[in-house]
Amino acid sequence: MKKSLKLLGVLLLICSGFFIVTFTVYIFNLDMKLTALIEPFLLKHYDKIERDRHL
Amino acid sequence: MAKEVGADRLGDFYIDGGKVRKRREWRGVSDTLYDYSRWLKIMMTLGKFIAKPRNIKAMFRYRWMANYLAVPMMVDRHTQGLRGEYLRICHEEQDLIIDDVAQLLENLFRGDRRIGNDTEFSKKVVLVDENEMTAVMMGFPTLKCLSRETPSTYVSVLLNQHAAEHYIDVAQEFGLAGDVCPMPEAEAGVSIDDDAPVLGACAIQCNTTCDGSLLGNGVISRRLEKEDGISVFQLAAPLRHQEDDVQDYAAQEIRNAIAFIEQHTGVKWDWNAYFECAKRVNYATRCRQEWLEMNRTDYPQVFGSNLALYTETNYMAICGRIPAFEKADRNITRLARQAFEKKKMAAKEYRHRAIIWGVQSHYYMDFLVWLLNCWGIVPLTDMLSMVSTRELKETDTPENRETAYYDMAWLTENMIMRNRTHGGYKVLLDELWEYVEQFNADMVILWEHMSCKALDGMHGLFEERARERGIPLVWVTHDLFDPRIVSRQGVRDQINSYMRTVMREEPLDPSLEVLNDEESW
Amino acid sequence: MKDLKYLKYFEDLLQEANNDLIRQAQKDGKICAAYTCENTPEVLLNLPGVFSTRLRAPRTGSLEVSTYYLTSFLCEYTRALLERAVEGGFNYADCIFTPDGCSMMNRCVENMELLKVLGKGKENFFFSYMEIPMKADDNGLNLYVVQCRNHILKPLQEHYGIDISDEAIRKAVEEHNQVCRLIREIGEFRREANPRITGYEFQVFTLATYVAPKYLLIDKLQETLKELKRRKTDPKFAYGARVVVAGSEMDDIDFIKLVEESGAYVCADRYCLGSFPGRDEIVLNDTEDALTQICRQYMYRGQCPRYMDSTKMDARRDYVAKLAKEYNADGIIYEQMKFCDPWAYEKMLGSHILREEFGYPVLAVDRPYAIGNSGQMRTRVQAFVESIGIKKIRKEAANG
Repeated sequence: MKKSLKLLGVLLLICSGFFIVTFTVYIFNLDMKLTALIEPFLLKHYDKIERDRHL
Repeated sequence: MAKEVGADRLGDFYIDGGKVRKRREWRGVSDTLYDYSRWLKIMMTLGKFIAKPRNIKAMFRYRWMANYLAVPMMVDRHTQGLRGEYLRICHEEQDLIIDDVAQLLENLFRGDRRIGNDTEFSKKVVLVDENEMTAVMMGFPTLKCLSRETPSTYVSVLLNQHAAEHYIDVAQEFGLAGDVCPMPEAEAGVSIDDDAPVLGACAIQCNTTCDGSLLGNGVISRRLEKEDGISVFQLAAPLRHQEDDVQDYAAQEIRNAIAFIEQHTGVKWDWNAYFECAKRVNYATRCRQEWLEMNRTDYPQVFGSNLALYTETNYMAICGRIPAFEKADRNITRLARQAFEKKKMAAKEYRHRAIIWGVQSHYYMDFLVWLLNCWGIVPLTDMLSMVSTRELKETDTPENRETAYYDMAWLTENMIMRNRTHGGYKVLLDELWEYVEQFNADMVILWEHMSCKALDGMHGLFEERARERGIPLVWVTHDLFDPRIVSRQGVRDQINSYMRTVMREEPLDPSLEVLNDEESW
Repeated sequence: MKDLKYLKYFEDLLQEANNDLIRQAQKDGKICAAYTCENTPEVLLNLPGVFSTRLRAPRTGSLEVSTYYLTSFLCEYTRALLERAVEGGFNYADCIFTPDGCSMMNRCVENMELLKVLGKGKENFFFSYMEIPMKADDNGLNLYVVQCRNHILKPLQEHYGIDISDEAIRKAVEEHNQVCRLIREIGEFRREANPRITGYEFQVFTLATYVAPKYLLIDKLQETLKELKRRKTDPKFAYGARVVVAGSEMDDIDFIKLVEESGAYVCADRYCLGSFPGRDEIVLNDTEDALTQICRQYMYRGQCPRYMDSTKMDARRDYVAKLAKEYNADGIIYEQMKFCDPWAYEKMLGSHILREEFGYPVLAVDRPYAIGNSGQMRTRVQAFVESIGIKKIRKEAANG
């Protein structure tokens, strides 16, 4: 019983932690803020790729 | 931070000159948690996508893949200010479209000679245009009907307003005039820039939607056929699609296209699959008609970009081939009925009922949401949503099989947009005013896609007809894929100045009137 | 070279849409069938009792009214036509035929219809729109035949009692071929090393055959041919290079004039209203109906970029290369009317392919409907001629 309660508590804690972290990311738009930082590096990378550019 | 519709100043969420928004909306506990749960689902879809090494490889190979960093933001743009059923309808559609595009990308990269190089899979792939009804694939359930242009240009510009600029520039570097429609121009640019996945047993191109699109295909097919060894069938759908004496030709084109696919894939046409798809197409048509029926009342439910984007996808790209869209149709209809019974509204005030005509600016698809939130203008329906309502034959009989060729031809001829921009002035000019009456609209917002010659060619007559009827007509000029020509604020300014100077009104939400979102995705 | 006797006469004909010969033919009791696109089988508009005229708007000035109706994004040809129509300049026409060749042309004529600016005082006037194939194949041919029957022949018969029998069609083909043979024979002189006819002169004669009743031109063309046979050339070829001009609709005689004044002799003309392929004879056999044979020949020889199948696309560039070879061209000028979508793409592809794959120097230009005396265009053509000259010198040096 005690073990189960403990397990439940841990599970609850993990879920709450997951919720708090992801909800914070969600509401403050942190996911988009991060990807916005990544984009310029990707664009630089694409410029460096050798391409067979023709009609 | 409010539960009520229209209580937030939505302009405050923008970062001045920034790429993304400050934060997401608080829509009250229930709606926020719902939106959050859908966000989680999208993140899982993206997570699953990224987990595959070949998708990562593709991310570093194709420039347009960078736009997919902005997927959650695209959803945010379209859900702006929405609550309750409207929010749910929007997610129902957007999330399904995201799943569908993710699947499309996976398949493209799996068969792509540069990435997955699954040759057996590639033999089952038939490439199609982005601007093409997929009716001709309704009887090939075991084949993969994939469009390279959909993810590389069409969806990319929905995600990031600047997505097509690079490819437009590439096409122009190779001598293409700058006055053609930037959509086929960008698609040609992708091909020239060697930035399209290479796969497929064969390809079906189509002359929809316009002269530019037709000719742009010539650039793409050249590389496909001469370099990649992929045979191309050019499906010619008659332009004067309202005429009886073109239908035999159109049906024969469908027969020829099917024979071509059979020849290049070794797969036989499946009538059972076709009629199953036809049933789903009919169901989608009935649902759409029911939504439009509601939009004629004081309590429209499925409208704006909720209607436009979904219809484009479901009617054109899906054509009954994917059962998940039937489920979405059902859910959307249920939510719409629910909200209709409760006489719910998507904004705190509906000031004007507008028909949106012409071709929308692709880099600003969420403009319709803005229109509602900023000025209380309800976009009851739009030109691209007013597609064919003809019921297809659903039962497998010898006569119906013959009719089916005509049904597929009819659908192909009546692809979104070209069912209005071609086929004579009646479908473009005259029917607009019929819809104005049917929907009890008091305003017409006319997108003037500046390089769409078929639309521009009716400019003066649109104005004359509006004057005769005393209907306010607001021109909104744009260049479809290229915000460097007319920016999003440039688009908004055209409405703002009309509403202030002609209608002498104040905005519902002044914070949205001027936004510095030129750098935004 | 001494001026050709009828050059001035033909030039004058081209100064007005409603030229003297149209008025004369109408006095003769003939019906004037106006049309707007090379994909309309012109010969069917020349059945006994009717004659064709391809619409153009010479001496175009302001495009203010048509720009209001069509916006400034439509090509100037369509705007010039609408402007002229609004001014009442096409009221001589007894009917008008327009295929959905391009969206702009279609809209232009629809505007004419909706604005009711044509057919004033003509009870039997009608507009006829038609679908034309976008691919050259059997299915396309069936469509073409049906469309010509329903949208050209039937309306002519119903509105004006024109005989549309196979016999009448064959008679029209005969007259059409007579003009084609004359034009082709006159054009053959352009193959000469020091040609006895300029590209400009040839364009004037050719263009007249599109806009004036053919039967009234035949004697003058015959006489011109005779005159050319004995015409003495200048002692020296006066140009820096020989070029093929390929491209979109062009009824502006000043363009070819400008090109030639800038040093490039126009030895072949592959544009709408040029002689290739528009002045190819129509060859008929007796085993198949004439209409089907006409449509087949129009469809397979058509060089319009709206033909979208790969075979046709490749054939378009081969055709220009073949002309360049046969007429000993040193280079190719691809021209495109501004805002013309089909030719925007064809110009890009054609100029690239002719340069890269066929090895021709290519100049790609876009132009307004009426070029006037554009200094910019002159400079571009001069520079092109100069570059061809340099290439020639280098080649000669390399060959020792």
